[in-house]
Amino acid sequence: MAEAVSQREAARSDGAEPVLSMRGLRTSVSMRDGSVDVVRGVSLDLYPDEVLCLVGESGCGKTITALSIMRLLPTPPVRIREGQVLFNGRDLLGLSDREMRRVRSEEISMIFQDPLTSLDPVFSIGHVMAEVIRAHRDVDRSIAHEMSIEILDDVGIPDPHRRIDSYPHELSGGMRQRVMIGLALVLDPQILVADEPTTALDVTVQAQILEKLLEEQRERHMSMLLITHDLAVVASVADRVAVMYAGEIVEEAPVDELFEDPKHPYTQGLLRALPHASVKRDALIPIAGRVPPPQMMPPGCFFAPRCPDAIQRCWDDHPEHIDRDGRTYRCINSQPFHRR
Amino acid sequence: MKRIAARTVYTVVVLVLSSIAVFYAIRLSGGDALAARLPASATSEQREAFRELIGLNDAIYIQYFDYVGRLLSGDLGNSLTNNASISTMLVDHGRNSLILGAAAFALVFAIGVPLGILAAVRRNSWTDGGIMSFSVAAMAVPNFWLALLSVWVFASTLRWLPSAGCCSPRQLILPAVVLAMEGIALTVRMTRSAMLENLNQDFVRTLRAGGLSEVRIVGKHVFRNALVPIISLAGLRIGQIVGYALVVETIFGWPGLGQVLVNAVLRRDYPVAQFFSLVLVTVVVLSNWLADIGYTVANPRLRRV
Repeated sequence: MAEAVSQREAARSDGAEPVLSMRGLRTSVSMRDGSVDVVRGVSLDLYPDEVLCLVGESGCGKTITALSIMRLLPTPPVRIREGQVLFNGRDLLGLSDREMRRVRSEEISMIFQDPLTSLDPVFSIGHVMAEVIRAHRDVDRSIAHEMSIEILDDVGIPDPHRRIDSYPHELSGGMRQRVMIGLALVLDPQILVADEPTTALDVTVQAQILEKLLEEQRERHMSMLLITHDLAVVASVADRVAVMYAGEIVEEAPVDELFEDPKHPYTQGLLRALPHASVKRDALIPIAGRVPPPQMMPPGCFFAPRCPDAIQRCWDDHPEHIDRDGRTYRCINSQPFHRR
Repeated sequence: MKRIAARTVYTVVVLVLSSIAVFYAIRLSGGDALAARLPASATSEQREAFRELIGLNDAIYIQYFDYVGRLLSGDLGNSLTNNASISTMLVDHGRNSLILGAAAFALVFAIGVPLGILAAVRRNSWTDGGIMSFSVAAMAVPNFWLALLSVWVFASTLRWLPSAGCCSPRQLILPAVVLAMEGIALTVRMTRSAMLENLNQDFVRTLRAGGLSEVRIVGKHVFRNALVPIISLAGLRIGQIVGYALVVETIFGWPGLGQVLVNAVLRRDYPVAQFFSLVLVTVVVLSNWLADIGYTVANPRLRRV
């Protein structure tokens, strides 16, 4: 796998164009007294054939970012205020609803956290799959049926000929998530956005699902944006990682560099809070404090109130992205990382 | 299947219990059953002999078993007041009631469901507000008053429709609409809330991510999910229509079972009153049983339970 990663890195430095490029994406939620930004100017590139992990704690804006790409935000109250989402150079935010429907599932697919509630309970899985296929391809029912069986077999559903007539409640959580993956991949999209795809599953099933996702990503030369709060998942699947805090990307790096030498104090805190086989249990260190509510963000660095290394300037000026030694992060007072 | 079998047993038990209740209630309601049958000059001995003849002196439970036995052998009996055959009344008036009831039932869903969907899709808009106000008003207005009001407006004042009678389509319109009104209002609310609940489900997002059109998602998937509670309440709507038919048929002079029943009760015509009460109870209980089956069919999660 290390080989694959280095190939991708090479492709990137070759000047490969990103398949997906968010530029200054700003998404807000309207509330009774005005609106509040929950995604605050996110710029992020997804390159061909790579797995990019978006990490951060609950409520930091990861899911809203993903839903913004797909234009699946519950509008109102959530809407994209500014920015671009460029897919192969074309701004998805400028497409008509009809054009956007063509993109969904055909070019960019998405799978969700809870496979129990994410499938329509009153139709068989084969029915819904055929419906999605036929919304995009001019094929008759029997061909759609064949395609569905093939993809179900592909994602590891045993006995797909019989299972295709099952209803969601007749399947286990892991099987449902496999169905979701099959549904997402049946039209062979270029990009898969996976929003916490394993969070709702048993630990043993989690590993199988991740393995399946990675396998499909490699076979199809697909790009994957994987959203998770689980750094163990990141370590095992990511090529690159973007760390999100309070609606901003605070650090972005290839996975090895990020784990070895995290620059942003928030990333450092996340890594210190990660259980590690070689470290005693009492050495886990939580990050102090809480994320401020979005309407009460400090004027300076959003992380300053919780940062062990904050200096006066951190409280005064909001830090921009810094590019230094080939690393990108949003911190003016980055300290060397000690696991402690 | 097990669920359907259990509901069927339950339905039969309810039918038996309600037939007993109806039988007792009518016998306990007082009044003289013979006033209309015997001339006023009849002596008390003659009256007593007649009571003995038709079995009114037996214990009520013996009368009940006698009655059920005769019903099961197909003998529905005759009216005490004019000796008319109850089976003939059932056929003639039953047909009229069926026409009126079916028309009202169709209106409940043909109007209630689309309005409910529209309100849900346009939630918090003027359309939604208008539909919901209509539904509150329609629930608040008692149907006998609505019946009189509609006769006054559409029959007496505008002269668009006849005020009473049977059984042309024009004569059907007013009673059917009045009979359906409360059902429409309840169905609108029911449909709206079921649609809204399902519009917020995660599976809707999955279907959107699959690139399906909004019309398809709302019209097919959300609606099919919303249909489960709507069907289960369809049985209650039938019960409501049966109950209100007594009032509406009487006001509009629609010669249906409701009218027959009301007249029979007023004249203490036991055999007629108890038979048609039983018919109405049976219709309500059976329609609930049908709704249960429909509910099971519409909801795959219950099919194999």
